[in-house]
Amino acid sequence: MATYDNKVWLLKNIREAFIATDDTGLCDIVMAGEDFSKIFQNKAMEEKKKYKEGILYQPSTSKIKELSSDISDERELVTQFDPYPDMEDSEEDDLVCGSYIRHEDFLPHRQRSNTTLWLDKKEQALKKAAKIKVIKWEDPTIKLTAEQMAETFAKIEVKKVEKKKSLLAEQLEHCPDLPHRQYLEYAKFDGTAQLGLPIKSFKIFMTMLPEKHQNYPLVVCVIASAKIKDLIGFTCYKYSIEHPEITLGSVHEYGLCIAEDDGEVDLAFPCLDANEPCSKFGFTCLGLIDLKTKIIIDRATDSIPDYSVMSGAFHVFPKASDSGQSHHNTSRHNTGGSSTSEAVRSAIRAVNEERKAGGLNVDKMQSHIIATEAPQCKAYSVHMLRKVRTNILVQLVISLDRIEIEPIVTHKHAFWSRSKYFLHSIDSVAWCQILESKANKTTFRIVYSTSHNTSLNDRTAGNTNFFHPNTTYKCHDFECDHETGKEIVEKINTILDLRNSPCRREYKTAKEKKLQTRRSFHTKQTS
Amino acid sequence: MSGDGSGGVGGGTQVALVTGGYDHTIKLWQAHSGVCLRTMQHPDSQVNDLEITPNGQMVAACGYQHIRMYDLASANPDPVMNFEAITKNVSRVGFQENGQWMYTGGEDCTARIWDLRAGRPFQCQRIFEVPAPVNAVVLHPDQSQIMVGGQSGIIHIWDLKTDHNEQLIPEAEASIQDIAIDPSGKLMAAVNNKGSCYVWSLAGSPPRPAPRKHLRAHNKYALRCKFSPDSTMLVTTSGDCSARVWRTSDWSLLRELRHDAQRWVWDAAFSIDSHYLFTGSSDSYARLWDLEKGTLEREYCGHQKPITALAFRDQAV
Repeated sequence: MATYDNKVWLLKNIREAFIATDDTGLCDIVMAGEDFSKIFQNKAMEEKKKYKEGILYQPSTSKIKELSSDISDERELVTQFDPYPDMEDSEEDDLVCGSYIRHEDFLPHRQRSNTTLWLDKKEQALKKAAKIKVIKWEDPTIKLTAEQMAETFAKIEVKKVEKKKSLLAEQLEHCPDLPHRQYLEYAKFDGTAQLGLPIKSFKIFMTMLPEKHQNYPLVVCVIASAKIKDLIGFTCYKYSIEHPEITLGSVHEYGLCIAEDDGEVDLAFPCLDANEPCSKFGFTCLGLIDLKTKIIIDRATDSIPDYSVMSGAFHVFPKASDSGQSHHNTSRHNTGGSSTSEAVRSAIRAVNEERKAGGLNVDKMQSHIIATEAPQCKAYSVHMLRKVRTNILVQLVISLDRIEIEPIVTHKHAFWSRSKYFLHSIDSVAWCQILESKANKTTFRIVYSTSHNTSLNDRTAGNTNFFHPNTTYKCHDFECDHETGKEIVEKINTILDLRNSPCRREYKTAKEKKLQTRRSFHTKQTS
Repeated sequence: MSGDGSGGVGGGTQVALVTGGYDHTIKLWQAHSGVCLRTMQHPDSQVNDLEITPNGQMVAACGYQHIRMYDLASANPDPVMNFEAITKNVSRVGFQENGQWMYTGGEDCTARIWDLRAGRPFQCQRIFEVPAPVNAVVLHPDQSQIMVGGQSGIIHIWDLKTDHNEQLIPEAEASIQDIAIDPSGKLMAAVNNKGSCYVWSLAGSPPRPAPRKHLRAHNKYALRCKFSPDSTMLVTTSGDCSARVWRTSDWSLLRELRHDAQRWVWDAAFSIDSHYLFTGSSDSYARLWDLEKGTLEREYCGHQKPITALAFRDQAV
């Protein structure tokens, strides 16, 4: 085998195999004094030395030759006693890549990974070394003549040092203020300037800057152990060097969020934890954002019901600026935030007053018909039953013209438990009945049509056909105590009867038809 | 490197600040902005000393068993020349003023002269052996003498032409840490591990060192001493986390350069107008001080570990 063509290496291996596999320790004692591999190695050194001296004393032109070529000659000089290059390595290394243990295992194939690795490393080192001119110290062999000495080591007159103006001083004058100085402490996290340390690269979009500066991401490379806050600092450092004209704020004002390849930042996710090492995260595209904006956005998402009312964010009622004005609601507009929301709020208040006045008129109109029942507006706290998720506490607001279902948020941060806000025009509500009465709970159902919201949904009312032959009905189921359940059902039914909307009529007809067919089917069966 | 070339070190015509230390890297800085321009690799060893060649094209770094030369003008992170076959740490490196030869000193108790001229009919490698590890070697501005100081506390004055040597022993049982000669060749200073600084005048012909001053420069280990280009100042750096600048006129203290974060100050370098001073410290920062105002002007951050050596080349305008 080609691997074993070296005497020294073989000797060393055999010797160690004997010593290592002999439990009695006898081999160790016998071979203690005679390490032939070492003896051979010394011989190799001697031989090399002899050869070198031979060259040196040759009357050839070798001295004029470039030093480096001498060195390469020497490298190629291999004697028969030369060991393998890494033979001097520690014993642990030998155990790892040594072969005698594998001989015992009778493995058919020798694992070569260590060897190939070593070869790769060696090859790279050689390539690098080829570019470096190596100059070895050589002890002076010939005594220089006095003339040569005088030529090389001539004493010179020490010149009077005149006062000079420094280029550095000039440059410093022209560069008095450096924006990146405030981030200087983060400069040491630069990954491009490291040797042997693990590093990590990121594409960072400066989303907190005006749009014209966001076109290209900043590619930063930091050492893997840098924390997210260090990454933020280093990003600021690098950006301020490249764009000294742009002023960035304090490092603490910024956060890093996950971003898409095109720089779109997903604000639904929180910022990466500033104290975690960046090696922990797998994302390579990040967006640097201003924490102040992030907080505003977070607040907005925390209070979905309020903002949906104010901004009409719900697709069910795209412009419901006049909706959801229960008494309860007006008192809850306290989330605050921006000046715009304040404006919206005052607008809502104004509308509210108007509606209250209008509502009173309606009330007067109704009062002589239904006496004390169906007051203008009343809110109830009930549990809404959901098929897939847990039942949630909602506020059911019933007024003469609408039914609102508004989730009552108990855990502000429990994003997943949030439920939708519903608003149904009373004209889209078709039916209401008690489903069952248990020991202490009553379950009731409100049936509504998805296609009868026109009265409130005026803006999208391009489709003003009131007759929907294929009307689909949906329902909400609720649970509450007997008293409330009864009251709600009675109240809704009074209002529904009063309005007698097309939706309700259709539903009634459909239901009757259904009953009839069932009955006729039943009679056919029995007859 | 910046595109306008102002930060580059093209052909040795520009300002260059180079630092090296325990993190096995050598960094080239844009001195006026504090931006690191390049990082070069100095494998397997700390950097004991740095010196820019007289033509300004290369920087020599000495460490364990090697003296490596790096090209300052290219982007090559690896050395272009490697001087080796030395058994121990090389502690100092310097050049003859025309770059004909290089001198080194090291823990193998020798000072050496390496001939850098190629294609010459004779080579003038020289070796000077002393009884103790060498910490300091410095070339007299007249290029004919090398001062070699080491752990034995002896300063050997090695005459290169005649090979004769003289000895000075400023203080018994104190290791000489650094030696400096002022650019006019009139003063020599040496600092030792007790924090003392000794000054000799080298006037007279032939120059004989005559004791001039003993300064209690620091209370701890002194590391370096250097004269300013105009010979009016001497800086001493120390393990007491400070660098002190002394007036050579009356040996009074001109400035004490301290910073809260600064640790051992390993090396220092003056600007050509003697107005500014660079220091390199164990806190991995290099600093630029305005000596007239006594203010900290710039900081250079990027090293992961202590900076133990720095070299600065200024340009006269």
